[in-house]
Amino acid sequence: MYIELLKLASPETVVVVTALVVLALGLANERTAGLCSGVAAAGLLFAVAAVLMLPQQATLFHGMLVITPLTSLFKIICLVLAFFTVILARADLSSRNRGEYLALVLLATIGLMLLVGSEELLMIFIGLELTGLSLYVMAGFDKTDVRSAEAGLKYFLFGSTASAFTLFGISFIYGMTGTTALAAIGQKLTTAPVQPLLFVGIVMTLIGFAFKIAAAPFHLWAPDTYQGAPVPSAAFIASGSKVASFVVLGKIVLVGFGPAQGSAAWHAMVAGWAPVLAALAALSILIGNLVALAQTNVRRLLAYSAVAHAGYTLLGLVAGGREGFSATLFYTTVYAFTLVGAFGVVALVRRETGGDDLKNFSGLSSRSPLLAGCMSIFMLSLAGLPPLAGFFGKFYLFSAALRAVDNNGLLWLVAIALFGSLISLYYYLMVLKVIFVDEKSSSTTQPLNPSTSADFLQEISLTVLAAVVLFLGVMPGTLVARIIAAVQ
Amino acid sequence: MITLGDYLIVSGLLFTIGFAGVMLRRNIIIIFMCLELMLNAANLSLVAFSRFRVDAGLPNYNAQVFVFFIITVAAAEVAVGLAIIVALFRARQTTHVEDIASLKF
Repeated sequence: MYIELLKLASPETVVVVTALVVLALGLANERTAGLCSGVAAAGLLFAVAAVLMLPQQATLFHGMLVITPLTSLFKIICLVLAFFTVILARADLSSRNRGEYLALVLLATIGLMLLVGSEELLMIFIGLELTGLSLYVMAGFDKTDVRSAEAGLKYFLFGSTASAFTLFGISFIYGMTGTTALAAIGQKLTTAPVQPLLFVGIVMTLIGFAFKIAAAPFHLWAPDTYQGAPVPSAAFIASGSKVASFVVLGKIVLVGFGPAQGSAAWHAMVAGWAPVLAALAALSILIGNLVALAQTNVRRLLAYSAVAHAGYTLLGLVAGGREGFSATLFYTTVYAFTLVGAFGVVALVRRETGGDDLKNFSGLSSRSPLLAGCMSIFMLSLAGLPPLAGFFGKFYLFSAALRAVDNNGLLWLVAIALFGSLISLYYYLMVLKVIFVDEKSSSTTQPLNPSTSADFLQEISLTVLAAVVLFLGVMPGTLVARIIAAVQ
Repeated sequence: MITLGDYLIVSGLLFTIGFAGVMLRRNIIIIFMCLELMLNAANLSLVAFSRFRVDAGLPNYNAQVFVFFIITVAAAEVAVGLAIIVALFRARQTTHVEDIASLKF
């Protein structure tokens, strides 16, 4: 039994060992920062290899650890996102305490892998907390910056409140069904009618997850955290944590609460979780896009756009079914890679000019055509323009939502989403206008680190990310086919 | 005789008090204590549900194991939370949320 456990959990084990080694290296010697990054990156790649060696299907301990093509695919995606975060951290943080920081990134990654690979509420809770606790520390890691501690505190307070909500919801779900395994909960719900107390439990669990994915009106932590936290932390919070949260939210609502879906169709609302998620989605799209219009800081702008994107992504879950879930998974993956890239550009600009306000980006195209090119790919993909991945992702989501309910019942939600996309075009193009048209103003603040030139490795990774976004836009079938095959 | 409903009412009250404290109080330490209260409300309802769900003469122990995990996680959360509060206090010399507002638009 334990041999089997060790075999099936080998990717997690590899990451744990890497985290400990990196921590020890960082503590042993202050000058091993470069080595730490190398070991962390190698460990993550090794873990990807371990995921590829896993069997196709396996279940341990009543669903506490589940291995399917879907979990393997998303474990790899989480590991790759962590890999890019490690590269981002190489250039951004000073070499002090590098080992500790990278160990936290790896621990958070383990949390994400547990989240993705479990169909049991206890394990999901532990994964959420492992991710959350590592990310809180990562957000407040920069001791030289007051705003970093503030970002950490806000993220911590909102995150813990959210997990308390999830937990209280889970306790009611357990109380009404007598189990914490998602499949068993789903079975119980098909046979017995949904009691009010169970409905309270479902809604509270969803509220907790709405905090995690930064859906309005539970998004208040996101702008402050994205702006104040060190850039690699913000990138990982926005990408890895979001991907895993959507995967697990999808599993919970579709596998666990499946029979209590209800309907969010315009004239035929039926109580269930679908109307709740539909309301969250509509609010997120409107609030995120409208408030983003007024932002002058690029990281804050990305945060509000993240709220809007959480709204779009929820559309797939509201639609439900295999097609809706695949659309959600595809969109959140594309979004995560785009956002890591965008934060990578922000990190380089910040190092060059000392800030990440819009005015720091002025004249970027003449200073660094490569960065400007990458940033335009990321922004246009977020805006959803063809032929980039964001366009296909949105198209797939909206068509899944339209087809899911008879009589175009979800047309109202898709109309809101289209309207939101239209607004978002303005602020994404605003960023590009500043980059390509505005002259570099002379009043920008002193560079933080004028001696270091742009990191070669980081530029390569940004180019790779931009290429991925372009490739997934031109040939989305490569990833979509895998996701559809993996979603049962 | 104390019934399941009584436990749930107490647990709901604890959760409400905790959430109200998180929303209304202005001292970070107190907010922090209220967070713990919310977690403990969940613990109470889990244990109560476990005790009153009897299969073959034995309570369903799943939830009681769950509670042990929650207690451990809550302890870890205290460690991380207090560390962040100390870091912030060193920078700002305050534990009031109104003074911590350098990030806004």
